[in-house]
Amino acid sequence: MDQSRTLQVAAGLGAVLAWIVIWAWLTRPGGPVPTLYFPAPDDVWAKFVRMWQRPYIGSTLPNHILASLYIVLTGWGLAALVGIPLGIAMAWWKRLKWIVFPTFQLIRPVPPLAWIPLTILWLGIGDSARISVVFIAALVPWLMNSMLAVYSIDRLLLDAAKTLGANDRQILTRVVCRTALPTLVAAARMALGSAWSTLVAAEILAATAGLGYVAVNASQLLDTDVLLVAMFMIGILGIGMTGLIGLTQNWLAPWSVLGARRD
Amino acid sequence: MIEKRLERMGVMTDRGKATAYGIFSLSLLLILWICATSLFQWIEPRVLPSPTRVIGQFAWILTEPFSGLRLPGHILSSLERWGWGVLTAGLIGIPVGVFFAWNPWFRTFVNPVFELIHFIPPFAYIPLAVLWFGASTATQAMVVFVAAFPSIVINSQLGVAQVEKIYIDAARVLGASQLRTLWRVILPAAAPSIYTGLRIAISNGWMALVGAELVVGKVGLGFMIAQGQENASVATIFVGIITIGCLGVLIDTLVQRTERFVLPWRKVAS
Repeated sequence: MDQSRTLQVAAGLGAVLAWIVIWAWLTRPGGPVPTLYFPAPDDVWAKFVRMWQRPYIGSTLPNHILASLYIVLTGWGLAALVGIPLGIAMAWWKRLKWIVFPTFQLIRPVPPLAWIPLTILWLGIGDSARISVVFIAALVPWLMNSMLAVYSIDRLLLDAAKTLGANDRQILTRVVCRTALPTLVAAARMALGSAWSTLVAAEILAATAGLGYVAVNASQLLDTDVLLVAMFMIGILGIGMTGLIGLTQNWLAPWSVLGARRD
Repeated sequence: MIEKRLERMGVMTDRGKATAYGIFSLSLLLILWICATSLFQWIEPRVLPSPTRVIGQFAWILTEPFSGLRLPGHILSSLERWGWGVLTAGLIGIPVGVFFAWNPWFRTFVNPVFELIHFIPPFAYIPLAVLWFGASTATQAMVVFVAAFPSIVINSQLGVAQVEKIYIDAARVLGASQLRTLWRVILPAAAPSIYTGLRIAISNGWMALVGAELVVGKVGLGFMIAQGQENASVATIFVGIITIGCLGVLIDTLVQRTERFVLPWRKVAS
């Protein structure tokens, strides 16, 4: 088991190396792919190091990253503050669901991005426009999964609590909110994924800093290497944040990790 | 009180009550909108247009060209790009997914590239697509492709991996060749999962298309919204948003309905 796992990791690393070699070969000077369309790996690396130290269109790379993270985490956090309580309440009180859900269903099929022009018109191109678009993008997964979390609770637990004399409020806080935790972690991950990808688009359309802003400027200035640095950073940060949430699950709801399917 | 009595009489079921509440809340929202705009003008029309204004704008775009095309024209060009992107993603993604499950070495080799496409959000490809293809249909189709591709591959792979081994063994015992086993046994068994992947891809692609059209292009629904922003016409944006939302629902419903015809052997989940 362990040995095959090592083999797998080794083969994976080998494949990555192979692709880098193929990439370098394709983009070599005089190679089949002109570097204007796709830069060589060493150029991308050099640009990455350079951007880390010297500002590109206004800020250094760490500052662009911080600008993006600030917007995405604010929008995602605000959506959590609204989505989790509302989702749980909607699942708990039928009437609230009947009242709120139709409106929500009306908004849900609209891609979050479609709100960008509207928020720009209403709020200008400042942070608040981007935060509100990220908020909309993150709200849907937060709310849907919070509802799902309550619905998927084992009836037996509720009945057991009731038999032991717990009142409605105790059941909600002690049983529902806790058993819902693992699903909420999944919700956090989905919401963050949706928020992150929407943020990138929002930054392409209206921003003065951030990774999406770097990407779109690089594209206009034909700095393909900068563009690739920005894309890689967007991907790596996305993976990193998802990973962090996965770790939180170990810490917040350790019982859910045991025996859970890992992939 | 009344509710309870109606329930006892069997007039108001839970479902009926939900509908009643829904109609009530939606009409409340509509009344609020009318009050805020047409009736009392709490909000400036520049910021929030009245419902009649939005309907008027809708009718206007339907009959008069807006930025070169009428509404159906914008819809068709959006659908065309989206169709190309999803089609390519399906044509490449299904074989790749099947091969992923079929041959672990192929999977190990291709996986890094696949993960790269998977983990970088599709919108981050917009600047690259613009750089490669300029403001052409290919740009938007590429963004749609990137958005649609991963779910097709993942679900095709999952579908093939979940095929009962006994079916494959049975086919082999009965003398079927590998290719025949793949075509007659594995693919039909994996089809429901592949279909699920396509369904996710179709809606992801639609979302991505809107983003791509907002950034680049001269036609399409996303472009229409962007034009609305430039002309400070909230009513146009509303028309665009509503059209995009309705089309999204329509497409998803169509895909759901066709499933029964395409995959009659799939047990319909209630």
